[in-house]
Amino acid sequence: MSTPPTLARRLNEWGLLLGVIGAVIGFIIGFAVGTHAIPYSFDEDNSLGSDPGILLGYALSVVGFLAGMGFLNYPIGRLLGAKRPTEEDNAYMHGEGGGLTRYFRMTTDHKVIGLQYLVMILAFLFIGGLGAMFIRTELLTPSPTVANAQSYLTLVGLHSTLMIFMASAAIIGPFGNYFVPIMIGARNMAFPRLEALTFWLLPPAGLILLSTVFLGGFTTGWTGYAPLADQNVLGMDSYLIAFALIGMSIGLSGVNMIATIMTKRAPGLPLSRMPIFVWSVLVTSFLGALAAPALIAAVLMEVFDRSYQTTFFVPAGGGSPYLWENLFWFFGHPEVYIFVVPAFGLVMEMLPVFTRRPLWGYRVAVGGMVGIGLLSFVVWQHHLFVSGLAPSLRPFYMFSTELISVPTGIIYLVALGTLWRARTRFTVPMLFIFGFFFNFLIGGFTGVFLSDVPSDFTLHASYFVQAHFHYTIMGGEVFALMAAIVYYLPKMTGRTMDTKLLRFQFWAVFITFNGTFISLISVGILGMPRRVISYAAYLQPLNISATVFAYGLGLSMALFLGILLWEVVIKQKVAARNPWESLGVEWQVPTPVPLFNFDQVPVAWSLPYDYDTGKPAADFGPAVPAFSGA
Amino acid sequence: MRNRATAIRVVIIVWFILAVGGDVALAFGPIPPGQASDLASSESLTILLLAEIGWPIFSAVLAALFFTMVVNRTAPPTEEPSAAALRGNTRAQTAWIAGTLVVVLSLAVYGTVALAIDQPGAGVPSQASALAMPTSTSQPLEVQVIAQQWWFTYRYPTYGGIETPQLVLPVNQKIEFNVTSLDVVHSFWFYALGVKADAVPLNDNVVTATPTKIGTYRIQCAELCGLWHGNMADNTAMVVSPSDFAAWIQQETTLDAPIMKYLLPYSHTYEPSPTIYGS
Repeated sequence: MSTPPTLARRLNEWGLLLGVIGAVIGFIIGFAVGTHAIPYSFDEDNSLGSDPGILLGYALSVVGFLAGMGFLNYPIGRLLGAKRPTEEDNAYMHGEGGGLTRYFRMTTDHKVIGLQYLVMILAFLFIGGLGAMFIRTELLTPSPTVANAQSYLTLVGLHSTLMIFMASAAIIGPFGNYFVPIMIGARNMAFPRLEALTFWLLPPAGLILLSTVFLGGFTTGWTGYAPLADQNVLGMDSYLIAFALIGMSIGLSGVNMIATIMTKRAPGLPLSRMPIFVWSVLVTSFLGALAAPALIAAVLMEVFDRSYQTTFFVPAGGGSPYLWENLFWFFGHPEVYIFVVPAFGLVMEMLPVFTRRPLWGYRVAVGGMVGIGLLSFVVWQHHLFVSGLAPSLRPFYMFSTELISVPTGIIYLVALGTLWRARTRFTVPMLFIFGFFFNFLIGGFTGVFLSDVPSDFTLHASYFVQAHFHYTIMGGEVFALMAAIVYYLPKMTGRTMDTKLLRFQFWAVFITFNGTFISLISVGILGMPRRVISYAAYLQPLNISATVFAYGLGLSMALFLGILLWEVVIKQKVAARNPWESLGVEWQVPTPVPLFNFDQVPVAWSLPYDYDTGKPAADFGPAVPAFSGA
Repeated sequence: MRNRATAIRVVIIVWFILAVGGDVALAFGPIPPGQASDLASSESLTILLLAEIGWPIFSAVLAALFFTMVVNRTAPPTEEPSAAALRGNTRAQTAWIAGTLVVVLSLAVYGTVALAIDQPGAGVPSQASALAMPTSTSQPLEVQVIAQQWWFTYRYPTYGGIETPQLVLPVNQKIEFNVTSLDVVHSFWFYALGVKADAVPLNDNVVTATPTKIGTYRIQCAELCGLWHGNMADNTAMVVSPSDFAAWIQQETTLDAPIMKYLLPYSHTYEPSPTIYGS
């Protein structure tokens, strides 16, 4: 770059530091205003401050953080009449010549953001996993031992909320951001600054959530049911602000992905020819954009209930706890498909590579995912079967819930069709795909018992539910995530973590995972409710079994992270250009992927699954060598 | 190709043995939540039925996955990898979707019918005021469950509205549980009777069940309700003979006599305390 860097660029270089300074300043201002300027009538003897102080402090600290990072420069600059950014400015913001520092500032490069997401969700996964280990340790005995009731419930809330944060971004964050633009032949996202914002909302959300331990914790778990939430001390505010930030991130990311997929596709790429993973991201993005606003609204109402004595959810003031339950689950149920639909997409994207076959039933697979997306908005009251809310509607929600197993079953049909008579290459990602289908099958069949109202009377809110959603989220989504990490790291980093040890790691995680959650299915059937620190003595043997397996599970997950760090960061083992011999567009571009992905926008020819003919999916022009098979 | 045909046969036979064996084992195994009430029996039956239908399908999908992934992997190398690229099969897709739809529709119909038989008009109180004293065992006896942080108390409106900390029920008498809360959302879970109902302030959640086995049972809270949620459990709930029940009512009436004038008049819901803030 010939011109000297402008002031804005110099400031952007120090974005993270300025962001932290901005956050501190914002918190101080917000806390002072909230504590002293807002009349606050609740007699809460808490030396740490009042709810308005904490809430406003957190809100302004996030604004300060984003301002310090430079998110306001463009909109405010444009409002004040600044010139449009030049090509050079854009290239700079995209991370040109940035090296490692790109990852610590605001950039508009979807590839940088994908890697930022990957590191962050692994951190969330690690912290949340530590929480799970503490929870299982406490449950070795039927009465409190290592924790007290408050710290136990706070741990349960932190584990669940962090894992929900992790899971809602785990696949769409790293792989959606990194690969969707490449797969559709786009040089960038539709709203690159917005994309940076969706990532940079998350680290503050995680830190604010964790700060609850300094504010007394919260006892509501991740569901935050009112009016219990109104009773809670200041730690509840951390949960509310963090969840609002996550909701914004999910919603904005959805809008951005929809716009990108709808408007930035390469010539020759109609919707009917998009890679299946892009379809899954599109469906998920609609879910996020439509469901997240309900969560944000509910959270803000709870914030007002706690600070300004509105009584949306307080029965004594004419409100209703059912309102929270409805709003929360209206978000909460599409949310679980936000977790798992991208996992379906990834798995179906990888299957043809390892079976060397075309994807069987592409259209019906797309239809299945769209069907899941539509149905997921009309099933939420199955979380409220025993709540006493609208009992006459229960048969409808039972029916719609059971109906969703039809489009989900289609995913299995597509997998079986693709695998049919194939000579499958059992690479490490393929092992994890096998684990995904096995675990999700159990998750699906346990779901049938919960969707049926009479059997749900017994199983509702028991450990059976807990095991069911761990089978779908951890056994499903996280297994797909691990497959995708091994599969895509060579493209994202130019290095590989594929070693013999990973095969051992897969079997360790597969066996200990199933051991843990089959034990927990059993304690649920035998009558153990969720989120208890004390339980009936006759359940102890199964709980011990779950804990022992859970320790193994924790160790094998740590082994995965260990191998990842060792091979990629320390040993820096260089990967082959296209180690899996994939025909996908994302594997045809050079590694590292050029700044704007393509020198020349490719022309799409076909779906990238023609392994019978070996025909590449797109024409990249003369500059890029054709697929060489190695 | 003969190897493949043999492998398919072996997998099908193994699946068949697993499916039939599993279903037979299920039919003889104890199915939760047991047979301690008509509701629990019906839930057991539903769980058994779902398991009986689900297990063969589950094991069939597993067998297919196992076959396509594992058996094919060891197929002889003479087979050409590019043979017969399949891009879909309308008949297979239609059959799969139709098959799953039929299973799902029949499950939904069955669940609706079972719900209608178990719990006609469940969830809402059958009338505004308390029920009259039942004249037969098939008429419901009203028992109110009041949840608060962190215990349950019970009121018997047909016995002068006495309030007790212990739940005692007469055997073979239909009971209408009216569940409500004084503070946050709880859930009344009488596992052995198959009863689970959320306790929501200002709401009356109704479940009926007829206990059929004399014994002592466990009751616990099934909705996170704050600090001592895990300890909101009681191992002393009892189902007793009608004569023991009458004696127990007599004893509790005497015990409650001095405090009856302080108790709120019986009602299906109670105004929660307006100062629920602060801990």
